[in-house]
Amino acid sequence: MTRSPLNSNTGSNKFLGYGLVLILALCGLAIPNVVKSTFYLGLFINAIVLGIAALSIGFLAHQCGLIMFGAAGFTGGATYLFGIAVMHFNWSVTTAAIFCLVASTFISLLIGMVVVRARPLPFAMMTLALAQMLRSVVKITAYREVTGGDDGLTMNWTGNFFGLTQAELARPANFWTVAWLALCGVMLLAWWVGHSRTGEILRATKANEERMRFSGFNTYVPRVLAFGLAGFIAAVSGLLLGLHTAFASPELLDFTTGANSLVSMLIGGASVVTGPILGALLYTVGQDQFGASGHLELLTGLGVVVVVLAFPKGAIGFLQSGIDRFTGRKHASN
Amino acid sequence: MDLLQSFSVIQLANALALSSLLTILASGLALIFGLRDVMNFAHGALYMLGAYLGFAVAAKFNFWVALAVVPFLLAGLGVVFEYAVLRPLQKRAHMDVALITFGIALILGHVVNTTWGTSPLSVAMPPALAGAVDLFGQPYPAYRLFLILVGFGTCVLLAAWLKWTKSGMHVRAVSQLPMVARMMGVNTDRLSLFVVCLGTGFSGLAGVLAGPYLSVDPSMGANILISCLIVVVVGGLGSIGGAIVASVVYGFIQVIGSIVSPLMAVMTPYLLLFFVLLWRPQGFGRGRVA
Repeated sequence: MTRSPLNSNTGSNKFLGYGLVLILALCGLAIPNVVKSTFYLGLFINAIVLGIAALSIGFLAHQCGLIMFGAAGFTGGATYLFGIAVMHFNWSVTTAAIFCLVASTFISLLIGMVVVRARPLPFAMMTLALAQMLRSVVKITAYREVTGGDDGLTMNWTGNFFGLTQAELARPANFWTVAWLALCGVMLLAWWVGHSRTGEILRATKANEERMRFSGFNTYVPRVLAFGLAGFIAAVSGLLLGLHTAFASPELLDFTTGANSLVSMLIGGASVVTGPILGALLYTVGQDQFGASGHLELLTGLGVVVVVLAFPKGAIGFLQSGIDRFTGRKHASN
Repeated sequence: MDLLQSFSVIQLANALALSSLLTILASGLALIFGLRDVMNFAHGALYMLGAYLGFAVAAKFNFWVALAVVPFLLAGLGVVFEYAVLRPLQKRAHMDVALITFGIALILGHVVNTTWGTSPLSVAMPPALAGAVDLFGQPYPAYRLFLILVGFGTCVLLAAWLKWTKSGMHVRAVSQLPMVARMMGVNTDRLSLFVVCLGTGFSGLAGVLAGPYLSVDPSMGANILISCLIVVVVGGLGSIGGAIVASVVYGFIQVIGSIVSPLMAVMTPYLLLFFVLLWRPQGFGRGRVA
């Protein structure tokens, strides 16, 4: 069984836990009042955008055992979809945002129908190939009109997104509310699906697919749905980036962009929904601290090696086992 | 545009030049996969390191020294790779090892960036090959011809070793059925040390050869890694012959596609990868299932 992220499994404890999460979520909204520095607020927003992408990879890794190497295709693809809807279809920003999410999820479901049949290593390669394919297509000169080619796609829109104009969305203090609510929303969604019956079927399938099929479960449809959900979460991350920066560049589809979220997921750990977010926060802060000196890549590489070798469950797994040892609790690992 | 009109000997030679680089890299990748069951995501980074080392050595001495020395330096790195990474991690899941090689790729990228900077560098062609030769009535850069010769020459040597020597036979045996080969008394550890060194040495060779042909820049590793993965998977994992054929096909698709339709050139390799992974996992050669 998966444990709730709140360490509370029974009775009144459970409601206490839910209340605590609600209070934390509401407190999060007030962060711009506490953190006045635009720089740090921007940093946190970057962490949220990266964290949601990492959550998408982490969800799939934890529930299905499939690791997506080409997450950049799903986040960056959504940014492009949003940009194209705004710039070429001339849709209002809200319509474009909804279109972006719906279309991305639909496309993810279609792709999922094909790729979840594969085993983990071919799956990783196929998603990587998808992202690279998208990147190459976007860069083709013949489609410059639509995608902006190497220069990227600059977006301009009039109208409001939840009452925020384009200029306001670009300001970290205003954008915070949108980003924070989106983060809470996708975390809740991922947590809920993970704890649902579908989540249990998914993890059982990960452990032994043959036995699940033999027991009469359909192991294919849940995995397609999980892939669709991962695509949706990734699209949320891409959409947030599009709304905030109003710019889509081929760099978003680079292998390295996907690697950032993959590394965040690995460092944070995927066994609970807060893991990838923590990883993304650590990664973004690290990027700020070490990015200028150029040691980020080295640390990231070492981080991946050390985490995979010594802490397969990431920082959150490490914290959890520490807490468990402290409180003397025991639980079945999953 | 008419396909036949635009298709000339020059384009054929260009396709072969690209393929020859890919064959060297892909056969190394396929060898390591065959013996160790590891998808080496650091292969592109090793190739990049080879290119930069080639640049450094060529600047100090000359290109020929680089061509002779760098593969051995990279093979030395292969010894470290085998003893420090592959051997201790034999029992771990494939995905874990793949992720660790990915981490190593990041570390190597950093080493290259801090040592040589991020701006593209160019390696001067060796004077003997700087000119053009007459190729069926048309001038063609001599260096590319040299590249084709070295690339396919290496692969022929490799294929001959695999086909006609005892150790080559052992490599093929382990690639096909590791358990059975071990039971028949093949020392897989010793074999794998040699094969990993060969694989990394090949990536160094490809790096040095790529220097004067392409520019030397930090993104060259990631770019070619994807092509290599496609070639190895499409050719059949662990199958050297398949990898050679697939890289020739890949080179042709790239060069011909860029004349006929850029969209086709971009999409075809990926679609091929998809098709192979989903419906023909053993690849077009006689490879193993991923």
